[in-house]
Parts: sequence; C-alpha cells; structure tokens
Amino acid sequence: MPKVEVQNLSKEYAGRQVLKDVTFSVQSGELFVLVGPNGAGKTTLLRILDLLDEPTSGKILFDGEIVNYSAKNKAALRRKIGMVFQQTVLFNMSVFDNVAYPLKVRNESERNIEQKVKKTLELVQLNGFERKNALALSGGEAQRVAIAQALVIEPELLLLDEPTANLDPRNVSIVEEVLSYVNRERKTTIVMTTHNMFQAENLADRLAFLNEGKIELMGTFQEIFGKLSGPIKSFARMENVFHGSSKITAEGTSIVDIGSGLQIEAAFNEVGNVTLHVPPEDIILSVRPLISSARNTFEGKITQISDMGHVVKLKVDVGANKNFTVQITKRSFNEMQLNIDSKVYIAFKASSVQVNYHLT
Amino acid sequence: MFKDAFWQEILNITLLSLRVSGMAVLIGALIGIPVGALLGLKQFKGKRTVMRFVDIMLKSIINTFMGLPPVVVGLTVYLLLTASGPLGWLGILYTPTAMIITQLIMVVPIIIGVTMSAVGSVEKSIREKALSLGATETQAAWLVLREARMGVLTSIIAAFGAAISEVGGIMITGGNIRWWTRTLTTAIVIETELGNFTMALTLGAILLSMAFIINLALTIVQVKEARR
Amino acid sequence: MKKPSKILIAIITVAVTLISTLAYEQYAGSQKSIIMLATTTSTYDSGLLDYLMPIFQSKFNAEVRIISVGTGQAIETAKRGDADLILVHSRQLELEFVNSTYGIHRVGVMYNDFVIIGPISDPAGINGLRSAAEAFRRIAEEGAEGNAQFISRADKSGTHMLELSIWKKVGLTSLKKTQTWYIEAGAGMGTVLRMANEKKAYTLTDRATWLSFKNQLADLRVLVEGDVVLLNPYAIILVNPERYPQRNYKGALMLAKWMMSEEGQNLIANFKKEGEPLFKPIARNIELAHMLGFPEQENELAWYDAQNP
Repeated sequence: MPKVEVQNLSKEYAGRQVLKDVTFSVQSGELFVLVGPNGAGKTTLLRILDLLDEPTSGKILFDGEIVNYSAKNKAALRRKIGMVFQQTVLFNMSVFDNVAYPLKVRNESERNIEQKVKKTLELVQLNGFERKNALALSGGEAQRVAIAQALVIEPELLLLDEPTANLDPRNVSIVEEVLSYVNRERKTTIVMTTHNMFQAENLADRLAFLNEGKIELMGTFQEIFGKLSGPIKSFARMENVFHGSSKITAEGTSIVDIGSGLQIEAAFNEVGNVTLHVPPEDIILSVRPLISSARNTFEGKITQISDMGHVVKLKVDVGANKNFTVQITKRSFNEMQLNIDSKVYIAFKASSVQVNYHLT
Repeated sequence: MFKDAFWQEILNITLLSLRVSGMAVLIGALIGIPVGALLGLKQFKGKRTVMRFVDIMLKSIINTFMGLPPVVVGLTVYLLLTASGPLGWLGILYTPTAMIITQLIMVVPIIIGVTMSAVGSVEKSIREKALSLGATETQAAWLVLREARMGVLTSIIAAFGAAISEVGGIMITGGNIRWWTRTLTTAIVIETELGNFTMALTLGAILLSMAFIINLALTIVQVKEARR
Repeated sequence: MKKPSKILIAIITVAVTLISTLAYEQYAGSQKSIIMLATTTSTYDSGLLDYLMPIFQSKFNAEVRIISVGTGQAIETAKRGDADLILVHSRQLELEFVNSTYGIHRVGVMYNDFVIIGPISDPAGINGLRSAAEAFRRIAEEGAEGNAQFISRADKSGTHMLELSIWKKVGLTSLKKTQTWYIEAGAGMGTVLRMANEKKAYTLTDRATWLSFKNQLADLRVLVEGDVVLLNPYAIILVNPERYPQRNYKGALMLAKWMMSEEGQNLIANFKKEGEPLFKPIARNIELAHMLGFPEQENELAWYDAQNP
C-alpha cells in the first residue's frame, strides 16, 4: 500500500515554476531517493511533503487520504512525520532537551521521554552528549542530533533533505547506517534527497531524477542506470568515475590501479574490483606543481572549459585517455588565466575518494 | 579629601540616574518585548502587496523612532505634561516620573526594534523546525522567543545604555532640580557650566564606568553567541 | 511549559516595584510644602540659591525646587503654570507678565552688577570713571587710533545686550564692519575673559564670573563700576493664584516674604565669592529700588509684610 502519493503536483514561487506536474508514490517501508542538481525543486518537494508549503495545484495523499490544509489536519499529520532540514537547525539548549522537544510538545511522560531520548541518542552514537549544548557541537554531531530529533517520535514517514551534505566520511557512514537500520528494522518509510549518486545507489529502493522541477527518470538503480545521459549524468556525479582493482597498503589505505599505469590512493580498505568517484569540487587545481598533503597528484592539460555561472568546470586530460572533471570558482579561474591546453596540476586527498564496489 | 556632602550628592545623583533609566528600561521592556516579539513573529511578508507595504512602513517607523532626538522627545513630553498641557492635571512635570516617561518613549522603539529583528532572524528556521517536530503554532512561537533571548537581552542592554547617557530630554522634563531630578548627565552639564570640574569629572568617571559595564555585558553576550 | 509563569512573575515584580516607587514619590511629596521657583541661570549659577534655600527649607519645612533657565524661558514656564514664583531680571518681560495678569506683586529683591575690565596699563584711561558710557567712548576713540581693543561676547546674551545698549548711548550702533579694534568673540564669558587677558583688551563682564576667573587673569583689573546702567536688578513675581489655582500660592508667598525679610536681605548681603559680595539687597532700600525700576516698591513691600501665610 502506498504511504505517500503525489499527484500532478505543481508549485509556483514568486512567478517561478519550481515543480511541474510531479507524480510519484512511495510504498510503505520503502526508501525513496530524489536526486537532482541545486534548484531542481528537491527541497520544495520535501517541504510540501512536510506540509510546510502548500502546492499551487495537484494533491498529496497520506495512507490513501487526501491532505487538507486545515491547521488541525496539518498538525495531526505532522506528528507522524519526521523531517531533517538541509541546514541543521538546533535549539540553544542541551542535546537531551533538543531531542526531547518533539516528545515534550506531544505531552509524553518524563519517564517515556528519558527512555526514548536515551535509545535514540544511542542509535545515532551520541550517548554521553546529553548535557552538552547543542550549538557547541561539530557539524556531523549536530546533524546526528537533528536526525535523532526526527527519529525520537518513531515517525511513520521520515523526510531528509541532503542529510550527508558537508559531512566527513565517518559521519556519512554513521548517518547512512542509521537510515538503513530504521528502514530495515522499523519499516520506516523514508524520502530523502541527495547529490551523491553512490549514496543513492547504496540506500535507495527506488530513485527519481528531478531536473528543473520535473521528474525525468524514476525506478530502481539498475532500471535507470543505462538511461543516464547528458546533464543528468553530470549532476548525478557520474563524472570522475574510474574502475580498477584495489590493493591495501601498509598504511591501511588502498591503492587502486585504474589502468595505463595511473594509480589513485583512497582512504578505504577494499581488495578487488572497485568503482571510484572523485567529487569535482574536491579537486585542487594549480598552474604550478603542487606541494600538498594530498596523496593524489596528476599533471595534465585542459581540454574543455564549461562556464556554469559562479563556478567553472574544467576537463583535465592526465594522459592515457583518462580525464578528470575539476570544479573551481569563477574567481580562481579568472585569476589563473586558464585556457584550453593550459598545463595544470591537480591534487585530491585520499579521503575525498568515494567507493562503490557493487557497481561493475 | 572631599567633604561628605560632596559624596552624598554624587550618590544621590547616581542613584537617581539608575532609578530613572532602570525604571524606563523596565517598563520599556514590558511594553517593547511583547510588541517586538509579536511583530517579529507576525511576519507581514504575505503575498499581497498590502502586507509588504505594511511591513515596510512599520519597519521604517520603528527605525525612525529608534533614532528619536532626545530633545524632541523631551519637548513633546514637556508640552504634554506642562500644567496648561493636556496631561497637566497629573502634576508630574519636573519629577522623576516625567523623566521616566521621557526615557520610556526613547527606549521602547529601541527594545521593539532590536527584539523584532532578533525574533525575526530566528523566526523562520526555528518555527518551521518546531512545527515539523510536531509543535503547535503556540509552542513554536514560545520556542522562537526562547531562541531569540540573547537578542532580547541585547535590546535591553542597548536601551539602558542609551537611557543612562541621555541628557537633552530629561533636562527639559526633569528640570535638573538639585537633590530631586538631577542625574549624572544633567549634573555634568551644569557643573561644567559652573566650572566645578572636580564634580563634573567625578560624575563623568561614574558615567563612563557604567557605560563600560554595559558594554562589557554586551560583549560577553555577543562572544558567548559567537562561540556557538 | 514553564516559561509563561516565569514571565508572569517577572511582570508582577515589575508592576509592584513601579507602583511602590510612584506611591513613595507621592507620599514623600505630600510631607512637605513644595515650592517651584523658576529663575535665571545667572542667579542659580552664582550659588546664591544653593546658599539661601537650605536655610529657608529647614526653617519652614518646605522644599524649594529650582528650575534654572534663561529669563524668557523662566517666565514662559510660569505662564504655562509650571512654577509658583519667578526670580528674574528683565524689566520689560516682567512688566508684560504682570500686565497680562499672569503674575502679581512684582517686587525688587536685589541687584548684582557688571564691571568694565581692561589691561592694567589702561591705554584708554578709563580707570575710576563713574560713567560706563564715557568709558566706552574713550575706548572707541583709542581703538580708532589703534591703541586699544574691545572684545564683545556677540552671543545675544544678557551681557551682550547690555553692552550694545551702552554703545548706543555713545552713538555707535554698527560696530563690526569698520572697526578692527572691536572683536566679536561669539563665546561665553569665561572664554571672553581669557581672550581679553591674552590680547590686553577691554570687555564688559558680570562680577560673579569675573571673581571666578580673576586668579587666572593676571593682566586684567576692574576699571569702571557702580554706574546705574551697570546694575542688574532682580524681581520676584508671584504667579496669579486666580489664574493658577492648582499652584502652591501659599508656599510661594512664604518664600517671597522670607527673601524680603530682614533675615533674607541680610543673608543675600552676606553671600560672598572670593571675599566680595555678589548681590546687594534692595527690597528695603526704597530709594535705590525706585531708581532701579520698582516705582511701587514701598506699597508692594507693605503688602508682603502684611501677609501671613
């Protein structure tokens, strides 16, 4: 039975069509991922699902019932939904009180609150943080508190807007574990957005590509992978994807031979065939040889320049028919006076390398 | 070194200053915080042009009143309270009460304005977050106020700082009567005029240290906020 | 949630404090007869009232609240009904005030005086002259020769007005444009005195300020004093009780009567700065009072003496 059905949903904001005739449904217990570039309408769609915004046209059904936007109905429905915003907003109080807040507004007993908060903080691996002020936490910890706030009420539907954006790999893996756990064990229906194609593939039962307010593709990863092309491929982070075989080094990192004598060092422990992804914005570019702590450095020349507004994407040929896409700001681009065929040096950290070993 | 009477008068002046400005800020907070909070919570940012117009007008008016020249306030209050004025029957011209009213008019817009922007700056994110966590509109509003508390505190400190150093308004409505309505600032004016520089400088030092304490408190609040 | 109750407690606390303060003010005020005296800055700044009022207050269990402002504003304050009596020095404004029934029983209390000061060398030779006008004439003559300078306040103060009226007597009405010896300072008395000391120039000053600054002005001395035009008489006027029934007429009468009593007049005569008296009493010196513009002095004095508030 579908948990959420979205039918012909459109949303206009200040004269701009943010969502155009969006239709999809999410099954109960399903983990549904929305992928798309910035401005595609992902956040707006999640806000509408959390009843914070009303659609201009179209309708939403929860458990088969059409949502009406009376204050009472909204409040009742919201109590079944947990939402994690893209920008982490925590309250200026202790971690415990932050996580207890959703229970307090539901007038739960002190004992229940104590128990549930404890259990939820353990789930996000923040036990021991109860007394800390939530505003004094690191980004990753804060995001986990925000997730705990959404989870503490054991929601029927969990909405997450870019839950792992800007987190370090350790926090990303904790968050991903938590999401798989509640989806698997509690059968919580999850709708989340992400930029990260690998994350989508790892977590999603089904995914949808949202571009310019429209769903362009929807289905399981296997169903749609072959259909990716052009702009979708770009925002789905299908750039800088390399296949190779991995060996573990003495330092505990991995060296991946991607062919033609090129090697990439990555901060994971995998042996055998792997698929790697290096985010274009994690790559440092310079016109002089780099002296840097980054473990991977390559020399190459620019073969393509795409102006994307405030950023510029460059294709750098490092030889042996291998290209890296590098994203730099317009300002650095202008300062370095780059052109086609400019000789450049690129570098990235071992920890920037993402791996997906299911994909072959 | 100094005669007892000298220090007695300084104590009297200092206490009156604190009483007048403190009372003005206290009453100002009782009026200004709820109004500022309400204006901050009630975002006049509707789709309709009328609402946006109301919002712009309201903010411009509050900002104008935040910078009211004290002498203009003083003159207005004087004309209201003078025996032949509309509120003359109260008989409170040239009393500390008149001075409190004068400063009240000056501090209320400051408290409203700063509270409004403090509440307004957290309003959207906190309110939405609270609602999405299942809070009712009322519960969400309380949480917004709670989260804006440092801003509200700032507004009170700023208002007190403005009040304690104000001179033009209370000079007119208080009359600068010795032992009765003479405050630190008005005393500095008259003692300077009389060439009693020892007295003027002593009072100035007291005023300066008060300003310092106020700024210290403000800075501590801000540093605490920034660390988060 | 607990927050609303905390706020409620805060509101109640503040309200209680507020009400008790206001109540205290009312109570404290009701104990004594409060007399509101509007006067000029010159009387107040001299320190005379701070010297006189404590004596009056303890004797009559009254509290005198003094508003010291410019003469015009002091009269305006009384006209609005915000004062019980006035102590001012502007004959024309005083007479207007009485004639339009705002005030009653105008009476002369005391006078202070202006002096012409100048360099010890006295190039214009005015030392010891009895006539201020004659002194000004000589300064102008020597000034035209380039031997003397005169510094004017040029700030439309009472002192400046008096200076201009003396120049008028000499026949000089537009001084600034042609005469380089005539310096317009546009400053307060203290500043002008210091300038006169630097430039070895003449100027007109009230005696109180002169006495305050005398020690810093080694090259200056008083050259002319005592001319009637240099005398500055102060009047007391009661606010008309029929017009302002809410005012403390009884208290005002009490204070005025005391100021004109033998005791009050002697105290005024004994008030000194740097060993010199600043004000001379005239309430009981009928002849002098007549000369200084109080033709009804003996009748008013008799009226005050007959009152028994």
